[in-house]
Amino acid sequence: MNSFKTLWTVAAKELIEIFRDRKIIINGLLLSPLLFPVLILGIGALAENRARTQLEAEIKLPVIGAEIAPNLVAFLATQNITAEAPPENPDALIRNQDKDVILRIAEDFADDWRQSRAATVEILHDSSRQDSAIPVRRVERALQAYSQQAGAVRLLARGIDPHLGSALRITHRDLATPEARRGMLLAFLPYLLILSAFLGGAYLVMDATAGERERQSLEPLLATPAGRGAIMSGKIAAACVFGMVGLLLTLLSFKLSFGFVDSGPFKGVDVSMLAIAKLLLILLPMVLIGTTLLTLISASVKTLKEAQSYMAFLMLLPILPTIILLVNPVKNQLWMFATPFLAQNQLILMVLRQETISSQQWAVYLGAGLGLGALLWMIAARLYHREQLAISA
Amino acid sequence: MIELSDLHKQFKTKTGPVAAVAGVGFTARDGAITGLLGPNGAGKTTTLRMLYTLMKPDRGSVRVDGRDAYKDAEAVRRSLGVLPDARGVYKRLTARENISYFGRLHGMDEAAIRKSTNRLVEALGMADFIDRRSEGFSQGQRTKTAIARALVHDPKNVILDEPTNGLDVMTTRGLREFLLRLKGEGRCVILSSHIMQEVGALCDHIVVIAKGRVTAQGSPDELRAQTGETNLEDAFVKAIGSEEGLGA
Repeated sequence: MNSFKTLWTVAAKELIEIFRDRKIIINGLLLSPLLFPVLILGIGALAENRARTQLEAEIKLPVIGAEIAPNLVAFLATQNITAEAPPENPDALIRNQDKDVILRIAEDFADDWRQSRAATVEILHDSSRQDSAIPVRRVERALQAYSQQAGAVRLLARGIDPHLGSALRITHRDLATPEARRGMLLAFLPYLLILSAFLGGAYLVMDATAGERERQSLEPLLATPAGRGAIMSGKIAAACVFGMVGLLLTLLSFKLSFGFVDSGPFKGVDVSMLAIAKLLLILLPMVLIGTTLLTLISASVKTLKEAQSYMAFLMLLPILPTIILLVNPVKNQLWMFATPFLAQNQLILMVLRQETISSQQWAVYLGAGLGLGALLWMIAARLYHREQLAISA
Repeated sequence: MIELSDLHKQFKTKTGPVAAVAGVGFTARDGAITGLLGPNGAGKTTTLRMLYTLMKPDRGSVRVDGRDAYKDAEAVRRSLGVLPDARGVYKRLTARENISYFGRLHGMDEAAIRKSTNRLVEALGMADFIDRRSEGFSQGQRTKTAIARALVHDPKNVILDEPTNGLDVMTTRGLREFLLRLKGEGRCVILSSHIMQEVGALCDHIVVIAKGRVTAQGSPDELRAQTGETNLEDAFVKAIGSEEGLGA
């Protein structure tokens, strides 16, 4: 009997079995496509809402020593920053996150001001708190504006052109495309996609090898004349089909939910059919690597439980490149397209940012990805030929 | 015909190597039922696993219809119908789907599978559950499904590991008739059991195994003569060397 027919027979049986388990289908195939839109729409709306309110809302700023600098306080009020009575213990308030930002006006402020020396004002804040960044920046900007205004008046009073004080006029021209800027906000998207590609078929793979072994159905199966390599490949093929169907559903739900977004950070992400097709092609080697790796693990352990204990570790793998790139951002280089997880991460971002992927990058990526899959397949096939595999009890 | 000669198999365990099988040899003729009798842990299952090519013996050889079971494993597996100790019926498939899955793995076409399945359904009395999913099957229904699955390709040699394990009296009787029918068709049938009455009632040739070795073999009459006991039960006890594990 030829191997291809065995492969097909085994794959068909595995898929029939899994599709008869309604709960697994709901959890494995439908849950994430239903959850992602909620996540995307929700996070988008939340981020936008927060930015808008923080940028425009009135800031209540506790000012220590407000009576020393009444003009400064009056100026802040014109910038929608209202001074409040100073707290007892300002450091503790910041540390306990009760206040985002507090202003302290130095006691010798008035003296320095009259002498035309730089008068000290101190902004108290916690730089590790993300949500206080916007208020702190607003206060700082208002103070600088006041400083410049007063400085210019002083120079004019001495008959000096205030522009002499600034030798450079610095301007910015931001060349980032709007798509790329959105891409920064999409950093989590590759992780979600890589994770579902990598472990989407996990249940089926573990069940088809470690589970069958535990339920003792592997022994009669391996006593048939069908080749072990073909049986294993059938199981891998079934898991790949399952994983790809899950991915397709997830991507289609992305397409739908991004289509609904008409404002906020996710507006205009590329979800054309071409982009979806590219994403599927990018994730195909990941599905293969995931299923062969899990088959290899399942064939080397004694029980399903033991196989499942690897999951926590495996779930961390796809997040590594995201973390590394967060700490140490680097420019795309060719070797990166041969590194699993990192390659997928970069390629997905490129697709979402509508950048062109060169044919050389495609070739390196697909060659390395499918090559690694084939290598894992060979190791797994080796394990499948071990005597212990069939013996469950 | 199946010939086993001087089989040895050792397993590594934490407490050191254990010789599961240490010198088992016998010949099973076509058109006869050969029974492996021995207490639990005597090495019956390991012997059968070496027979159906799932384990490689450390020493000795297995020949099925003249073919070496290791050099020609695929052809040997094709000519064997195997009911392992672990039945392993797929719960989410119906009995019929379980059977046709194995038929396809044996390379049969759909028409041949259908014909063979109908024949086995009739012979084993599976008509009332053949199209039900095997989740929730009784032990007897599971065993019948597993036997039908093992015989779908109409093998000349039939290996059954403890076929009546866990079955009620009526199902056991039905199964015995089925085994006699296989013998009548000229097949070579090997079964293992730890139940003396069963082996005594069914088998033409009995191989008594204890502690991995053959301690006696022959027809029921020959065994009585060898051990000098007129009662078959006493003959078994003497052949095994203890009363351990000989349950009814």
